[in-house]
Amino acid sequence: MKEFTYQVKDQLGIHARPAGMLINEAKKYKSVLTIDTGAKKAELTRLMAVMALGVKCGQTVTVTAEGEDEDKAIKEIEKFFETNL
Amino acid sequence: MFNFFKKKEDAKIIIASPVKGKAVSLSEVNDPTFSECMLGKGVAVIPEDGNIYAPADGEISLLFDTLHAVSLTTAKGVEILVHVGLDTVALKGQGFTSHVATGDKVKKGDLLLTADLEAIKAAGYETVTPVVICNTDDYADVEAISLSDVNPGDDVISITTK
Repeated sequence: MKEFTYQVKDQLGIHARPAGMLINEAKKYKSVLTIDTGAKKAELTRLMAVMALGVKCGQTVTVTAEGEDEDKAIKEIEKFFETNL
Repeated sequence: MFNFFKKKEDAKIIIASPVKGKAVSLSEVNDPTFSECMLGKGVAVIPEDGNIYAPADGEISLLFDTLHAVSLTTAKGVEILVHVGLDTVALKGQGFTSHVATGDKVKKGDLLLTADLEAIKAAGYETVTPVVICNTDDYADVEAISLSDVNPGDDVISITTK
């Protein structure tokens, strides 16, 4: 299993558009990807669940990847967070 | 696998318009998040008034803090997002009033939100309201069935189960 933690910098947090972009990125991988806010956890491929986390600016999340392409998945998803969130 | 044995009408789930207005194809929405169906397939309604009603019976799975969008999960597990206007997250709640909270059970036609359409337009935002099925991938197909003038409660989306 691979993981990274990230503090969200987007002023609006993970709202509908970034959540949509994020799940479309997550669906590219075979690994099971999860996002954990400490209080709640969601599969990164479930849009509603990710939006329902209500991640705000400044909040720290942990993303994990488990599966055959976990190395690539975690690298690309981390890049996605740095670029978009 | 056992879908073969189901009656045909069981395979369709119908979702209603949440608002009075004109239903248009998502592809006409001026925001790739919706026009490219990144949040799922569905329909958009150009609203004539700001009363947003429940498009189906279900539970409010998420009322955004910014009150510009609300999502509802039906008993059958359909995840519906009603997003009032484009980029309206940036209004941070201004012009929106909510009548429900996350976790509330609602019936189709219950008032969910009131949006001040004139205030939204005055702030420079489009009021077109996409209604999308967030878990589109769970279904065989999601299609718009009405692209004309609609009232709240009129059928607008047909979902074909797998």
